[in-house]
Amino acid sequence: MEKWAFYSPQSLRELIEHLAEIHNPCFVAGGTDLMIKIRNYKIKPTTIVNLNRIHEMVYIRKEDEAIAIGAMTTFTQIAESPIVNRYARCLGQSAGNVGSKQIRNIATIGGNIANAAPCADSITSLMALGARVKTINIWGEIHEKPIDDVIIGREENNLDEKEVIIEIRIPTLEGGYSAFSKIGSRTAVTISKLNMAIVLSYNKADAAIECPKVAFGALGPKPFISDAVANSIKGKKFTYPVIDVIKPVLLKEVEASIAGRASFPYKREAIMGLAENTLNLLMDGIKEGGY
Amino acid sequence: MLLNMRVNGINYALDVNPRLRLLDVLREKLSLTGAKEGCGEGECGGCTIILDGLAVNSCLVLAHQAEGKEIITIEGLEKDGELDRLQQSFIDKGAVQCGYCTPGMLMSCKALLMKNPNPSNEEIKEAIEGNLCRCTGYIKIIDAVRAVADSKEGGN
Repeated sequence: MEKWAFYSPQSLRELIEHLAEIHNPCFVAGGTDLMIKIRNYKIKPTTIVNLNRIHEMVYIRKEDEAIAIGAMTTFTQIAESPIVNRYARCLGQSAGNVGSKQIRNIATIGGNIANAAPCADSITSLMALGARVKTINIWGEIHEKPIDDVIIGREENNLDEKEVIIEIRIPTLEGGYSAFSKIGSRTAVTISKLNMAIVLSYNKADAAIECPKVAFGALGPKPFISDAVANSIKGKKFTYPVIDVIKPVLLKEVEASIAGRASFPYKREAIMGLAENTLNLLMDGIKEGGY
Repeated sequence: MLLNMRVNGINYALDVNPRLRLLDVLREKLSLTGAKEGCGEGECGGCTIILDGLAVNSCLVLAHQAEGKEIITIEGLEKDGELDRLQQSFIDKGAVQCGYCTPGMLMSCKALLMKNPNPSNEEIKEAIEGNLCRCTGYIKIIDAVRAVADSKEGGN
């Protein structure tokens, strides 16, 4: 068995100082996905850089027009955060649906993004929320880019070999609401066969949907934003049966994404129920007055 | 490579290969064989232990990720030859059948009660959603946790 070098920096500064000397680092955040890839020989690391002792990367903060989440924040912390559930409810809902309690207790949002699984629940919500990803590189330079640019394909990110995700930034929207739901093969502890997030702002006075954003996951190599579905509900009133408007557009979106694939006949039906669930969840949120 | 951690109230400084998982170290270096390897990929919960107060799958954690942390395994629940009340309740309510899932199940339930001494049935179900049991049908396990939470000493 080949030996590994193992390195656990205790601060971002320490990480940056040593990164230059580390050859071919394999970063481990929570490790819940990575451990399985290592055991299946999909990844053969030589040097592990463990990030779980960098406590300064664990936080959820409300700032002026955004919420900031440290990359090493776990899904349990996100799902239980009053800030997330107030300003980015769909993210709280997706975080609370990741894996099992044991997984959520160690799996992190930064790790989920870097792993870039097509069915990653948090990524669909982050896409719909217009999240941006802050990274740090070997020279200590900080970059911020849209999550859509960071995830480029199935389990593929465009981070440099020595670039680390440090923070996720989510713009907050005045009068905004959001919801996430997923379909899996069982009710709990399930990998998404399909998931969806909707973010919109809603003016109670005229009851019309404004600035809608819709994202889908597990419908192709990476979660994506659907402008077509968003446009179909823009300006509509919730009193109107929104689901009827959305259905033909959903079908087109599934056709465009996975036509010819074995999952196509299932997903083109399943997406209708998923959209209805997500819209209902969103309307519940509006009644409760959350974001 | 040196690994410092506290397991069931005892401080250890062990020489541990970085490739080993926390589960391997607990079972093979410390002979704490209560945590079981079922699936090895975080589905079954047989390897559940409590790490800094939270239930985690020890098969998905590298041993060195536990550096400086506090771990409780099933072996740490009993005190002075007396079972923890939760363990006794599992026996009393018939929540143990073949027993393979029991250590992991107990640690998930214990982690819940440490955080929330009076959980709802929904919260109990959520706490054990990552623990598979093919014998009991879960009802008796929920009864066992319920009984401790509802007892006059409370869940803690």
